Amino acid sequence: MRGAPATATATPTPTPTPTSTPAALSSSGRGASQGGAIWIGAPPRRPARRIITLAPSLTDVLVALGATGRVVGVTRVDRAPEVAGLPRVGGFLDPNPEIILGLQPDLVLWVTDGGALAAVRRLAELADGAFPILAIPIITVADVSAAARLTGEAIGDPAGGAALADRLDAAVERLRGRAAGLPRKRVLFVVGRDPLVVAGPGSFPDELLRLAGCDNAVGGVRPWPVYPVELAVGVNPDLVIDAALDEPPEGLARLAAVPAVRAGRVVRLSSDALLRAGPKMIAALDELFLALHPEAGR
Amino acid sequence: MTGLGRGRLLLALGLGLSAIAGAVALSCLLGPQPVSLADALAGVEPHRAIVLGLRLPRALLAALVGFALAAAGTALQALLRNPLAEPFVLGVSGGAALGGALVLLASVGLAGVAGPAGALLGSAPPVVLGAVLGAILSTLLVFGLGRIGGRLVPEAALLVGIVFNAFVAGVITLLKMLVPPEQAARLLYWLMGAIGYEPPGTLLVGALVILASVGTLGLLSARLNLLTLGDEEAATLGVDVRRVRTQVFFAASAATGAAVALAGLVGFVGLIVPHLVRRVVGPDHRLLLPASALFGAAFLTLADALARLAFLPLGTEPPVGAVTAFVGGPFFLWLLRRSTRREAEALP
Repeated sequence: MRGAPATATATPTPTPTPTSTPAALSSSGRGASQGGAIWIGAPPRRPARRIITLAPSLTDVLVALGATGRVVGVTRVDRAPEVAGLPRVGGFLDPNPEIILGLQPDLVLWVTDGGALAAVRRLAELADGAFPILAIPIITVADVSAAARLTGEAIGDPAGGAALADRLDAAVERLRGRAAGLPRKRVLFVVGRDPLVVAGPGSFPDELLRLAGCDNAVGGVRPWPVYPVELAVGVNPDLVIDAALDEPPEGLARLAAVPAVRAGRVVRLSSDALLRAGPKMIAALDELFLALHPEAGR
Repeated sequence: MTGLGRGRLLLALGLGLSAIAGAVALSCLLGPQPVSLADALAGVEPHRAIVLGLRLPRALLAALVGFALAAAGTALQALLRNPLAEPFVLGVSGGAALGGALVLLASVGLAGVAGPAGALLGSAPPVVLGAVLGAILSTLLVFGLGRIGGRLVPEAALLVGIVFNAFVAGVITLLKMLVPPEQAARLLYWLMGAIGYEPPGTLLVGALVILASVGTLGLLSARLNLLTLGDEEAATLGVDVRRVRTQVFFAASAATGAAVALAGLVGFVGLIVPHLVRRVVGPDHRLLLPASALFGAAFLTLADALARLAFLPLGTEPPVGAVTAFVGGPFFLWLLRRSTRREAEALP
């Protein structure tokens, strides 16, 4: 461990609970940084050689750790060029246990998600100890570096995982440091435009905004509310971040009633890397800082 | 068994069971992963896990759900004396979905306050029970509001069912807005009629409810024949019309509720199958009801296998409800045209 800044992100990652029951696969509500990760089946004794990842963010981690050659299957939504030729094992929400079993993995990595819970639970029952599944819940920014650390440990490269986690922590600290003393803006973080879906309290972007010295213009209690446009007008954000990358940029015209949009105070993110639990986030945090504080420059 | 050859019944049952066996076998052979049946039976991994652990339970679940829905459809058609009656169209499935969804969401809410109690409520038996209760209440509503001047009017009941379906869709949309996104995803997937990965407990409870309720319908099948003659005629023949109707009500609702709890909203099975079977075996419910149930089982197993096969290139599996709706919607409209044309021809 390096000299720890006063943040929760630099605490050592709690070891995941070893368990052998698929029934334990339920959302405890605790993130990976709080010991919420779970092994179903015994962790591999030898470095795994046939790894399947059920989330693009974990694929990124494996690529960063130089373990691409040991990956035998990824999701339908994986876009990384390094894994372009690999078999697809279904989607992020609908992994296909049949294809996964057919690839005979010796390790399966999963970002805990309610949508895929039933399929993964069934997979764990059928694996019956033949291969372990590591379930990593990612809720907060701290969980992102915990996921890198856990993945490194799981594939037998704890040093690589720790180094990646440290780089992530450092990027978060840099963001926090640079934002200190800059004016606090009120930001509307848009993730979908039709209907308008925004990042609310408790969501991942909400935490990033606070780290970057800004306030989320969205109140309430729901992490991803479908947001009435007139509320968006009413809260009158200083800045709109457009993270709806699946939709064309000109679609923002729908939000023309929002003063910030009319005044052109909109920044469109260049990639979805901000929502990736791994190396891609490091560069994305810098991009976010520039988007939020263009006046601060480089 | 007057007027019904025991031989014909045995033949129909034999054919139905063979159809199920064939459909299940085919379903076990089809999928994204090439497997060898010989290896699977010899216990070679991963063949064994894929065929016996994934495909077989899924095929059996589809069979169970098809069995329940086709039997319920046959019974409801007899009660309403209308070939368009069907659990999904009448809103019985919708009521079951609403009941099950409310229990599921209540369990989520409770899990936040008291974990174990929430988990218990979210487990199989309460969800099945909620779906069965929802089905019963919606059946009462449809048949209650489908009366005009004290007489049950099939068209009115169908209309009530269709309106009730729209109402349920609205309520479920509202519920989806109120729950965390991952719960909403789960709810949506369940409601779309996915033959998924049900835990053994759910399967067991669902199977027991379905076998008991379809068995009850089988025992009532001779009286269903009399009910189709009309209430007065049935009463003069010594049938306690009110009592039989109540029993059929509850049995058909319970079968539908359990089917929805297991596989969500799978529509039109109870419309397509009884209609086709009726054309082959005729209108005698003592033969029609068991044959419909068995061929319904084979039909849904095949539909599910077809759904998986059709979407292989896309690397995903559509819910079987989408396939049955795709076939069943046009089928319903065709039946509607036919029955209205017949009525028009029967007019002087």
